[in-house]
Amino acid sequence: MNDVIIHTSNLAKRYQRYRKREGIRNSIASLWKRDYEEKIAVDHIDLTVKKGELIGLIGPNGAGKTTLIKMLTGIIAPTEGSIDVMGYYPNDMKNEFKKQYAVVMGQKSQLFFELTVNDTLRLFKEIYEIPEKDFQKNKQYFVELFGVRDLMDVQVRTLSLGERMKMELIVSLIHNPKILFLDEPTIGLDAVASKQIRKFLMEINEKNGTTIILTSHYMEDIKALCERSIVINHGVKIYDGATDKLFDRFQKNKRITVTFDDPTEDMALQTENVSILENEAHKKIYQVPKQLVKELLAELMKYEPKDIVVEEEEIGVVVERIYREGGKFHG
Amino acid sequence: MGKYFEITKIYMKTQLVWRADVLFNMIFTIAKVLFAFLLWGMVFNHKELVGGFTFHGMLSYYIVSSFLSQLEMSEGVSNEIHDRIRNGTFSKYMVIPVGIEGYFMAMELGIVLFYIAFDFIAAAVWIFVFRIHFVFAASGWVVACAVLMTMLGMIFMVQLNFFLGLLTLKYQGIGTFLMIKNHLVALITGSIIPLTLFPEIIVNIMRLLPFYYVTYLPAMLLTGKCKADAIAGLIAITLWCLIMQAVIMKVQNKYFRKYDGVGI
Repeated sequence: MNDVIIHTSNLAKRYQRYRKREGIRNSIASLWKRDYEEKIAVDHIDLTVKKGELIGLIGPNGAGKTTLIKMLTGIIAPTEGSIDVMGYYPNDMKNEFKKQYAVVMGQKSQLFFELTVNDTLRLFKEIYEIPEKDFQKNKQYFVELFGVRDLMDVQVRTLSLGERMKMELIVSLIHNPKILFLDEPTIGLDAVASKQIRKFLMEINEKNGTTIILTSHYMEDIKALCERSIVINHGVKIYDGATDKLFDRFQKNKRITVTFDDPTEDMALQTENVSILENEAHKKIYQVPKQLVKELLAELMKYEPKDIVVEEEEIGVVVERIYREGGKFHG
Repeated sequence: MGKYFEITKIYMKTQLVWRADVLFNMIFTIAKVLFAFLLWGMVFNHKELVGGFTFHGMLSYYIVSSFLSQLEMSEGVSNEIHDRIRNGTFSKYMVIPVGIEGYFMAMELGIVLFYIAFDFIAAAVWIFVFRIHFVFAASGWVVACAVLMTMLGMIFMVQLNFFLGLLTLKYQGIGTFLMIKNHLVALITGSIIPLTLFPEIIVNIMRLLPFYYVTYLPAMLLTGKCKADAIAGLIAITLWCLIMQAVIMKVQNKYFRKYDGVGI
């Protein structure tokens, strides 16, 4: 029990949102009378996280992942339930608590865009009261790990998205937090940058023992990093267990995109259970059961394609399937 | 304190990035002095005194008060809080181990310190160019009172704007209100025209408000007027700062609990 770093019980967040019917008359009417509806963003979630875990939080848009992270970091207050993060009630917003975690939200920056990363790091050194020796040691470690030495003295606004995300991570980790919350850290990044970020997170988790809670839309992120996954849909936790089991059971299909130099119309494919999602002369997209991928690829090669891309099924589809088939499934 | 000092420094650095802004701010100071010179030149055309001011006394008041009001940039605090709450990025300040009000105080100091030097140079150049016989307080303790009052006045304005920014958590959108507030404050702080030109009853009402002590009274003290009000003014603005702080402390945590962010 001593290893538990996060514990929530029946954690819920409800909020009211304004609802307005279309049209100018309704806009005017809304000046004095407004209709509100209640939305349940997180619906009675029980969660226990142990020190050093690397957990993937999965769910479609609006599932409640970000709200959960906001509650765990104290940004928003829960409506109901209990929450304990490292012995603190997060929404008390105590400085001693804030010094022990870091949060990186893909599209919300802590960097000063007009200044350099070194300037922001110097600010964070003071804010987190890091001794100079530790600060220099940590900075050197992260700069080498990411290979960004040449970028430390250039204006942040001139960095690419991938470079900026690396800098966000360096700034957030400079004080050696016990927990790192990451909300869509690879959003908008290319494959190379995403891979680098994943490698970096893996190293932080293994070497420093940092507990990491990660939300992502990308299956690759979750599969490559997280031994444990939690799936949320409509605010409800529908899966909490091993990532391998989750994907073995519910990620049933792969998506294959095939392109051709010459127009290719009729392809009499023999592979069973293949469905076509897009059918153009130069490009076709198929959905095929995982176990039949090899067979389909062999068949497609006969048509001399220009390129073939095999992708995982979209996360939303998987979540839908868990919801439909599994109800509450624990791996 | 080190963290707040570093916040002040980083905002000073931020100001130094935009060279054109610095230049335009100086030009703006110059334009204001030029405008005052022409306007009050016409008003004083056939008169020796207006509201107890000579022409040079009035220009001195105007230069000092516009210098002080230009340093008073705290509306940026309410605008920053308002905008960030509206677009869901206010959490930037909530997740770092630093007092949020203290952060904005330090931020404001960094911006003001930077502009003091440039605005002072611009004002001094124009006093020389227009050969204004600058009227300045003779007494050292009056100058000290005026400087202290200016500092407290600026602290009060940051407190006020911080509080108004927090109101976004309750009322969601207060942009228009903030705009009206900014125009009203410009008038009632006396940075457009000296408050002595208003009817006495209005001036007496103004004395009860903190804005009287933000720009107007310090400017009057620095130009050798209203010496008798110096100590009472210091006490009044100190009390206003304490009242405002008590209000902030009462509502701050309650309002932060209303923060929902964007895209839940």
